[in-house]
Amino acid sequence: MSKNIKIPAEEVLIQVQDLGLSYGSVRAIKNITMDVARNAVTALIGPSGCGKTTFLRCFNRMHDLYPGNHYEGRIIMEGQDLLGNDVDLTELRAGIGMVFQKPTPFPMTVFDNIAYGLKLKGILNRTELTDRAEMALKHAALWDEVKDRLKSGASGLSGGQQQRLVIARALAVEPKVILFDEPTSALDPISTSKIEELIFQLKKEVTVIIVTHNMQQAARISDYTAFMYVGELIEFNETDVIFTNPNVKLTEEYVTGRFG
Amino acid sequence: MNPLTKRKIQNKVALSLSTLAAAIGLFWLFFILWDVFRHGMSFITLDLFTKDPVPPGFEGGGLRNAFVGQILITLVAMVIGIPIGVLGGTFLSEYGRHSKLGRFVSTLSDIMVSIPSIVIGTFVYAIMVKPIGHFNGWAGGMALAIIMIPVVIRTTEDMMSLVPWSLREAAFALGAPYYKVITQVVYRGAATGIFTGILLSIARVGGETAPLLFTSFNNSFFTTNLNDSTPSLTVTIFQYAMGPYDDWHGMAWAAALVITAAILLVTIAGRLLIKWRYRS
Repeated sequence: MSKNIKIPAEEVLIQVQDLGLSYGSVRAIKNITMDVARNAVTALIGPSGCGKTTFLRCFNRMHDLYPGNHYEGRIIMEGQDLLGNDVDLTELRAGIGMVFQKPTPFPMTVFDNIAYGLKLKGILNRTELTDRAEMALKHAALWDEVKDRLKSGASGLSGGQQQRLVIARALAVEPKVILFDEPTSALDPISTSKIEELIFQLKKEVTVIIVTHNMQQAARISDYTAFMYVGELIEFNETDVIFTNPNVKLTEEYVTGRFG
Repeated sequence: MNPLTKRKIQNKVALSLSTLAAAIGLFWLFFILWDVFRHGMSFITLDLFTKDPVPPGFEGGGLRNAFVGQILITLVAMVIGIPIGVLGGTFLSEYGRHSKLGRFVSTLSDIMVSIPSIVIGTFVYAIMVKPIGHFNGWAGGMALAIIMIPVVIRTTEDMMSLVPWSLREAAFALGAPYYKVITQVVYRGAATGIFTGILLSIARVGGETAPLLFTSFNNSFFTTNLNDSTPSLTVTIFQYAMGPYDDWHGMAWAAALVITAAILLVTIAGRLLIKWRYRS
């Protein structure tokens, strides 16, 4: 298909093939086929209700938490179909982190928040926990702000700090992929730019898929952009192409702000 | 009259009426507290806590047996009631959230809250006293536990439901299995609320008399053997207050003061805990 870019096979980490999701009789997304490039940022954009978040939540099978959801198609990552019945969901989710719209610090100390995922992985050694927590916090550009309050409650941090804490928590377990679901929509502009900067840096080590409402954000931080509309993938290409010279009229209308 | 003046008058009338209603409610509460304090205070002595009752006509004596019995029965109720209540609430808030069984249990538990406690007393009498042939402390504990369970279930479910679902999703997204999400994240978020609910349920059963009348009954002698009829403060108050002797009446006032103060303290502790926890 000419409207969707074909990413060279050696750069592809995940292949989405004919993906669909329905709950009850509603098909929320359908016929999505695209590749996700390794160590790159892929943005999912589109108007509210177009299925971006639904699509994102297929990668770590969040839909399995609720009864009545059915997947179609396949999501192949490193030869394995993530949607297979034999997939161990806890293992899958440990390898594919997720950051939500609103910060979700657990009701515990800053340190315990970071240590949580590590402990789930079976790391109980105190020194190792401390080292890896420090590493993750530095990674998320939060270390300097919280190094003196690791033992105080995470709820005392500001919204932007909480969001970076959550990112650090996801990073600590060294996932291959991190999914971001509108991570800055609840934050002020300064916190937003810090998080954007962070996501931009992250792609050296992880593959990022981000849902965003903010087209400038997608343009600033992503390498590839997928435009979705009423549950379908309309166009997928390099971000520059989507924003400057899209192949589909609908994409052009959306990115130029004529609807959505 | 212009509408603004009319509204102001309506506001004043509503405010006065509701203030009056609140004052009437508070008046009786403080009247009871004051009366219990006034009558009971003079009988509060060290002997009350350290000595057992003496036969009528003899000087002195205390209610050590009833204090110890009350504590034992309440402990039995807590050991049975708290785990079942907390786990039941957990089921309703988590695993049984979408199921018919969950809704059924939830409704049933709400109905159980309003069952008259004397009915629970007679029920336990039928299953734990009649077959054995004599009153026993275990039955008293069981009756109180049955009263506690729906209270703890309701608060546990409510407090766990207050923990935002996004927090559970965040824990799932890190690869946590459901039982760890519950025990490490949801319980932590709801801990103060659940604990307060437990405290309030203890306060609730602490003042129950009717369910104990048919189960643990009473005992004038000191005992720690729950296989036997076991004394409790509430039943002792009931019997002493109905009795013909003045020093019995005095003891009953004293016991009423102690139990009222204890329940008040537990309740206040619960409230303070909530305040302290949700301050920020």
